[in-house]
Amino acid sequence: MAIDTDKIVHAVMHGSRIREEKGIIPLFGVYLSMIPVDFYNKISFGFEKQMQQPDEAESLLVNAAQECGYATFAGVRSSREWAEVVQPMISNDKDQIYSFVSIAIAFGWGDLGVRELIPGEKLVMRASDSYEAKGYWDAYGRADAGKCYMLRGVAAAFMDLVYGGEYPDGCFRYKALETHCQAKGDPYCEFVARKAAG
Amino acid sequence: MIVNWPEKFARKGHEIFLSGLPIALHCHHYNMNLQKTLEASLGSEGGLLIYQAAEESSYAGFTSFLRDHPRINTIKSKLELASTSFQYCGLGIINFTQIGPDGGKIASPHSHHVTGWLAKFGKRESPGCFFTRGWIGGALAVIYNKPIGYYLVKEKECKMTLARECIFEVTTV
Ligand SMILES: [Zn+2]
Ligand SMILES: [Zn+2]
Repeated sequence: MAIDTDKIVHAVMHGSRIREEKGIIPLFGVYLSMIPVDFYNKISFGFEKQMQQPDEAESLLVNAAQECGYATFAGVRSSREWAEVVQPMISNDKDQIYSFVSIAIAFGWGDLGVRELIPGEKLVMRASDSYEAKGYWDAYGRADAGKCYMLRGVAAAFMDLVYGGEYPDGCFRYKALETHCQAKGDPYCEFVARKAAG
Repeated sequence: MIVNWPEKFARKGHEIFLSGLPIALHCHHYNMNLQKTLEASLGSEGGLLIYQAAEESSYAGFTSFLRDHPRINTIKSKLELASTSFQYCGLGIINFTQIGPDGGKIASPHSHHVTGWLAKFGKRESPGCFFTRGWIGGALAVIYNKPIGYYLVKEKECKMTLARECIFEVTTV
């Protein structure tokens, strides 16, 4: 059975209307917030500009996203909503990755698509409208390197979760690079996750 | 004044908008990880970065929302809008009962950031609601028709340090 992204988007949109009395949204095993993307761009790129070594900022932001993507989607995968909505559509490992991508689309993270998936080896994920790339371009102009740190970390986290071994020991088994980025003027952003060296 | 929040929350393809501004759903793992990364690397400057980004984003958000809703035109209804939007966005509960154009006190008995921080990292030694502080400053500036940065929001007590609730003190700069 194919993964029905519309169905997953609908479940997220419907579920995110529910507030407990504390004003908190518990959905898919995590607490969700709805915050303008501008906020995230300001803190990520503001952080990068303030750090003495921008490379260090980049790896800290990618790692933060990967660690969080790993914890978030582990929560998602063991949630009631996953069991009810997503699990019936899954018949193999690849479907899990496709479902994670559909949930990321539902969360408003971009028009993501899987270009290539070799089980255990490689994931190529593409976005032609990433809020990070757009935010960077609008604020600072053309970048000299990829700027979609959140999606880059998340692409690796998807592989960690499915092919990295038992949770919680599989984080950082994979590593992603952003080979193309709209912030650099490329027509799309592309993330390639492969097994980390060592 | 009742705002039909789900109606304000529009999905266009892969994007989600709240009153015309693109938003994203992120969870406490990401929000708290970002805060921890910024604080660990930049110290208090990291907290300030979160404060200022939240202030700018809530200032832009409320400006856009009120432009689209001219009938929300009293201070009371604008404050009510602020607290319901905080709740709608999954950010928590915020009470604007002791506030005026010169500032005042605001209490938050529950918030995404407090719940998320305690769940992920446990008790803090110092107040940590930088996002909420900035968010309040930006919202109040719009509500009282002041420029951004007009208010300074400090957190006097914080549930992340196991206080009963978060108490914010608002003064003018
Ligand atoms: Zn990019
Ligand atoms: Zn607090």
